[in-house]
This record gives sequence, structure tokens and C-alpha cells, in this order.
Amino acid sequence: MSNSHLFLKSGFPRAPLQNGVGRYVCQLQRITLKFCKNNGSSRGMRDFIENHLVDFAKENPGIVVYVKPRRHRTPVLVGEYLNGEREWMSCRNNTQEEISKWVDLLKTQNGSSSSLRLRKMWHTDVPSIQGPWTPFLLRSPESQGQVYPSEEASKPLETPQTATEKLIELFRQQQLEAGEEAHEVLNKKRAE
Amino acid sequence: MSFLRSAAGFLARVKVLEGATTVQTRRHIKRWVSPTLRELAHRQKKLGPQKPEARSGFLEWNQRSELFAFGKRLGESFELSQLQRAFTEKSFARREEERRRKLGIEETDLQVPDNSDLAEKGHHIARAYVNAFLQHQLPKVPKEGLQAIAAYLLSTETLAHVSSHLGSKDLIQSTEYPPTAESLAQSLQAVIGALADSSGVERAFLFVRDFICTQLNQKDLLDVWTPQDPLQLLEKICKERKLGEAEPRLLGDCGRNTVLAAYQVGIYANRQLLGKGFGEDLKTATETAAIDGLQSIFDTHDNRRPFDFAIKLETKNVRLG
Repeated sequence: MSNSHLFLKSGFPRAPLQNGVGRYVCQLQRITLKFCKNNGSSRGMRDFIENHLVDFAKENPGIVVYVKPRRHRTPVLVGEYLNGEREWMSCRNNTQEEISKWVDLLKTQNGSSSSLRLRKMWHTDVPSIQGPWTPFLLRSPESQGQVYPSEEASKPLETPQTATEKLIELFRQQQLEAGEEAHEVLNKKRAE
Repeated sequence: MSFLRSAAGFLARVKVLEGATTVQTRRHIKRWVSPTLRELAHRQKKLGPQKPEARSGFLEWNQRSELFAFGKRLGESFELSQLQRAFTEKSFARREEERRRKLGIEETDLQVPDNSDLAEKGHHIARAYVNAFLQHQLPKVPKEGLQAIAAYLLSTETLAHVSSHLGSKDLIQSTEYPPTAESLAQSLQAVIGALADSSGVERAFLFVRDFICTQLNQKDLLDVWTPQDPLQLLEKICKERKLGEAEPRLLGDCGRNTVLAAYQVGIYANRQLLGKGFGEDLKTATETAAIDGLQSIFDTHDNRRPFDFAIKLETKNVRLG
């Protein structure tokens, strides 16, 4: 996500009204083609209206097509969707093939797809399939038959060595070393 | 800013004069644009927030084409007069009659048909099909549960949601815009009635299945219907289905007498574990355990088999009452 997308609307890919579970309903409900009758920038739009518009309307009886000529203005496509969204698209200097492709795009989406940042490519209403965690989840088998209070379970897991214990250990080591030296001296004397 | 722009334009012109002999004036934004826009914005602010304009009042609007497209979009064939009637509200029809009477039109041409009788018919059809569908898909759920789920599906909010997503918001002829949830719901029921009149009651049933019953898809049934006293209901169900006497037992607890206490309770009947649940005290733990048990008895768990929205119920199984 770059800085220019900070204020872009964000969301998840969703089908409105469980579309396709029962039957598929084309989400584009009406399309308005605005163009100028003699300006050069509307050339492609005029060609599209002349050659393809009637076929488009016949193939898609569920989409209402309005054609609106206006003087000296840029050609424009306006799509209105069933979920209340409206998409405006400038078609200045576009050829009729380009306009056909844009109209096809409007037909297959449910709102302006380029003005929505997808947070993820998938969505689920139930993120956890195992439910909330409880202390009783995944208990170890030993803890099943445990009787409390128990001395074994009451001990802390880690007990650091105390100073007294350390001293005793040091003393024992010294004794051991001293003992070895004394042994050596004894051995020498015996050999003599 | 405008001074800078004009200065830049002047410099550009000087350059052009030096380079070529032809003089070409640069085009700027006209001086009247900014004050006009400012004045328009000022007037708009003075007026305050305005109500949204009805789409049917726009220049590019053809009611007949819209009605035709409405039917085709849903893959149904309507009689356009019936559909027009389904979208005409009673209050709007009365107002229209009043207007015509004032214009001096004869009394015989005054009648404007409205959608109240179609809506009633559609309501009966929708209720009958939803009940039959639920009975078929949730055979183990008792009557009150089915009633609660059907009431959710046929509630004004659900119907209005469906109706507005089928594009009837712009088509409804009502005294107010945007139409209220009630009028949206009523128009959807009237559309079902009009469909039954135009292409038979079977098509109307399929319409109800595809657009109203599918609202149950991925819906948590516990959100729609939670029994008031689950343990009592479980005991009653156990007695009815002869599963033995339901008996809650403590399975485990931890942190007793602390703020983080947790209890796990299982409900047994005839030495069989019906369901288990947990909670911060014994009462809630027993309740959740009872709900869990009921869910497994009624087969309404989250991981149940999903609803089959492609079934065709036989018309004789749907009781129109």
C-alpha cells in the first residue's frame, strides 16, 4: 500500500445478497452513455452506439441503457449498480473496442473495483474453527487423575541454587581435591 | 496564485513571440468561474443538507424499460401491469387519485391500483414456502425454533434488505423518497404475488427460495433463535424423545474462588454425554452445556451440513394457508 492509497476505501471481496447461491443476478442495473454528436473526442462512443449498442441491449435485457447526447462535452459512461453504487468513467478519445471492453467490465462488477483496496483476497465470517480457548482444552492425560493438594504439583518448576548449597558444594570439591593430593603423598612415601 | 499563472502565461507568450512570428494566445480558466462556483457553494451551504433526489425524477428514466429490465434481470417474466401495480404504494395511489380528481377526470378513470392485495398474497406464499423449506432442511428442530427462524426470514428488515438489493428502491412509487423499510418489504411481497399471478405459483416458490431462503446461508442459527431456558427445554426434549433424564455434571474446574474461575459442565442422559459447555460460574456453564446439547440433538451445530438451496419442494408439500 503506497501513500496515495491511504484514503482509499478498503474492504473484502464480497458478493451482495448471497448472489449466486440461489441464482445469479447481474449487478449492473443501468448504464448511461453520454456523448457529443460532433466532437472528435466522442468518435469512438458514436461508433460504439452505431455498431454494438443494440446487440449489447439485446444480449442483456436486464440492463437498462440510456443514451444522452450533449453538446461539446467529453463522452462518459455511468454505471449504476444494484447495491446503490454509481460509477462514472470518462471515455475521451477511446475507440469503440476500448469502450466495448469498459462496458464489459462494468457489467461484471458490483461497484467501482479500482476504488476499493482489498485488504485480503479472501474473507470468512468464522475465523476460528475450534472455538474459544478454555483451560480444559488439550489437557495432558496426567492431569486427569491428579488429586489436590499434591506435593509434586505444588513445587515450582525451577528453583535456583541457594548460597548455602553453593558453599557446601565448594567445600566438598576442596575436600576431594585435597584428598587426591594426600593420596599422592601417601603413595610416594610407600614407594620409598 | 492567479497572478503567478498569468505571469507564467505572459512569459510563455514572450517566448513564443521571440521564436515564431505567429501570435498564439494561451487559454486560461475564465475570471468568472471562481466567483460563480463560490457563490453556488455559498447558496448550497445556506440551504443546508438536502434530501436525496428520486432517481425516477431524472431526465434519463423510462419506467417501462426499468420494469421490463427488473423482470429480465431476475430471470422471470412478469406482466408489466401487474409489476407496476406491485410497486405502487397505497398512499401514493390515494394521492394520485386526489390529484386526478382535482384535474376534473371522470370518476371511472380515477382508480389507481395499489399493491396491498398483491402484498397480502405474496406474504402468504412466502410464509408457506419458508415454513416448508425449514421443515425440510431442519427436520429435528422443534416448532418454536422453526417459527423463530421463519420470523427472522420474513421480518421487515430482512425483506427490506433483499428488496433494496433487487433494485426496487428506485422503482417504488411512494410518497417519500427514499422509501421506508416497510414499503420496501411490502413491495417485495407484492412482487412475489405479481409473479404468482403472471407465471404461476411454482415460479413464485422458486423466487422465495432463491432470494429469501438464501439469507440463511452462513448464518449462525444460534443468533436467530436461542431458547430462553435451555436446560428446561433439554429436559422436556429428553422426556419426549425418551433419551433418559438429563443431568448436569461437573467435568472440570479451575481457579475456584478467584476472578478467573472457569467451570466445565457436561450434560448426561442415560450415561450418554449430550453436550458440554463452560462458563465463569456453574449456572452459565450449565446453560451453555444445555445449548450445546440442544444443538447436537437438533442438528444445528456450526459444522452441520450446509443448507441445500437447489432443492425443489413439491407444491403439494407446501401448505398455502
